[in-house]
Amino acid sequence: MEIATERAASPPTVGGVKVLGLHKSYGKHAVLHDVNLDMAEGEVVSIIGPSGAGKSTFLRCLNYLEVPTAGTITIGDTTVDAGARRPDRASLDRLRRVTGMVFQNFNLFPHLTVLENITLPQMKVLGRSREEANAVADSLLNRVGLAAKSDQHPSRLSGGQQQRIAIARALALSPKVMLFDEPTSALDPELGLEVLAVMRDLADEGMTMIVVTHEMHFARDVSDRVMVMADGRVLELGPSEQVMTAPTHERTKKFLRAVLDR
Amino acid sequence: MFAQIAAGVGMTVSITGASLLIGALLGLPLVAARRSAWTPLRTLATAYIDIVRTIPPITWLFLIYFGLPQYALRLDSVSASIIGFSMIASAYMAETYRSGLLSIPQGQWEAATALGMKFLPKTRYIITPQAFKVTLPAIAAYAISLLKDSALASTIGVHEITYQAGLVSRATHQGLLAFSIAGLLYIAMSIPLALAARRVDRVLRQKLEVA
Amino acid sequence: MPFLDQWISWLPALSPGLGVSLTLTGLCLLFGMPFGLLLALILEGPVKPLRIAALVVVEVGRGAPALVLLYLLYFGLPEGGVTLSAFATGVISLSWTTGAYASELFRSGLAAVPAGQREAAVTSGLRGWSGFRYIILPQAIRISTPPLASLGVTIFQTSSLAFVIAVPELMSKAYALGSITFEYLSVFALTSVLYGSITLVALAFVRLAEQRLSRHL
Repeated sequence: MEIATERAASPPTVGGVKVLGLHKSYGKHAVLHDVNLDMAEGEVVSIIGPSGAGKSTFLRCLNYLEVPTAGTITIGDTTVDAGARRPDRASLDRLRRVTGMVFQNFNLFPHLTVLENITLPQMKVLGRSREEANAVADSLLNRVGLAAKSDQHPSRLSGGQQQRIAIARALALSPKVMLFDEPTSALDPELGLEVLAVMRDLADEGMTMIVVTHEMHFARDVSDRVMVMADGRVLELGPSEQVMTAPTHERTKKFLRAVLDR
Repeated sequence: MFAQIAAGVGMTVSITGASLLIGALLGLPLVAARRSAWTPLRTLATAYIDIVRTIPPITWLFLIYFGLPQYALRLDSVSASIIGFSMIASAYMAETYRSGLLSIPQGQWEAATALGMKFLPKTRYIITPQAFKVTLPAIAAYAISLLKDSALASTIGVHEITYQAGLVSRATHQGLLAFSIAGLLYIAMSIPLALAARRVDRVLRQKLEVA
Repeated sequence: MPFLDQWISWLPALSPGLGVSLTLTGLCLLFGMPFGLLLALILEGPVKPLRIAALVVVEVGRGAPALVLLYLLYFGLPEGGVTLSAFATGVISLSWTTGAYASELFRSGLAAVPAGQREAAVTSGLRGWSGFRYIILPQAIRISTPPLASLGVTIFQTSSLAFVIAVPELMSKAYALGSITFEYLSVFALTSVLYGSITLVALAFVRLAEQRLSRHL
């Protein structure tokens, strides 16, 4: 944990993430105030906090699904400055190329089979041949334990299976950073576990991950650091063990008590 | 030219209005029969609704206007078209009512029954007010489509907008202009209906959200 | 049943008309559906002058009775120096009607694709045209297919209007037969049976297709 904090203080390495002074407001209503995050390659950060804290908004700003009002985002060697007007297409494309996103409600493409969900973006975005794309998809499907489902349509699968496919779809484009937006919130607890298991493997393999979650065990056991947000601000950001067991901020204590007592 | 074509507006409105009114009234017993627990009645109502809707309106008009006099029931063209359109409207209105009723959660019926309400008060005070709100935009939409269908009455000689446009077009050889005017008249007449439907829809939506 | 013999003896006179009605319907769907999709794409697109033009085409196509459009083109095209057969005029006019209604169905299909699908497409790198082409459009078309199929059935019924510009379709054959035999009631009853049975069969297919398509949505 010591190491993680130290790494975070240094400038981002090749696959790292650096967010500086991120602001977001809808008209006069500000939803994010000055959010900063500095992550080393291979680090896993969980974002927790009460609903309406701006966790998902922050995550969705990182790949510009939401347009931030001010601040800079650096992922790998791509920097986007939100202060300058709307960034150009090319840097947005690069930003989205290096990030993979997993949504709360999966958003698999219902008209495509499981295999096609994973191969189509590879062929259209990376220009891979069908054979290459199939090979990548097969190995990813094996990795998430769903090779047998490749010819099915998503609607035939359980929520947990759909979410594992969604993870495979994102991984197929070889992102540098994976963004998870409450990946288990729409799932029954036992289905959530199979998704969390895949995420844990991914973390062990050294993937850089930012995870908005309500799973306190995951936050504590898998992530290197935990970021606590409330009212669009970062309350604290520190090593998981420390934040979860000995938080410094009064609101964090209250929040954790409320969640852990359930 | 415009005045001569617009002279048909009154007839168009009369036929549409009368047929809509009669159809709306006939639709009530029809939907009751359609939802009846007694199978023969339900089958009969379903068959009527399906048969009426699967045959083109112009065929109905010809059947009534040219066919019925064979059995000594001679009708003028205005009555024939009102009868035809009322019949068609009753089938569509019954279906509109039915989807309105279906949109009401089962729990509403159950709650009213549990409170000891009998069929009529239940229908009158609990179901109808809710169904009506859902149905109103659909009724407005149907009114617009009936307004356009009423143009068919021209084929059996009713002096409404399209018939007048035909007269003018033959007299002046300016069919493009005459039927453009006719088309715009229909569009102009449907705008208030469409706006009303949208307004009602919006108001109701807000109410439902509050509730 | 004496009327049945009568009906059977009339079928040879009416069936060419039915053939014309079905051909007319088929051509209107063939031209009208792509036209409707094109109109929908223009209406959702960024080019304002095109959008306004498409809006006029759609609003007139939906707002004016199909009968008036038929007359408009039938009398209007020759005045503009274009002389076409009644059949061709019928195809153009009813394709206009079809396209106008279809465009609205395509648009609501596009609107019904969940926002998450657009987001997932974008985050998978499929932005702009390729995201639209491979992710949004196929789903929109699937959503729109059942109402489009119902529209097809409606257009078959609407094809009866071509009678007024002397296209030799089912209604005009029936009318001609009625004026020879004076058995109007029986002739139009048979005509109703023909329209009704084809419509019912077509609707049964629509429902079948609906069930098949809803499987993956």
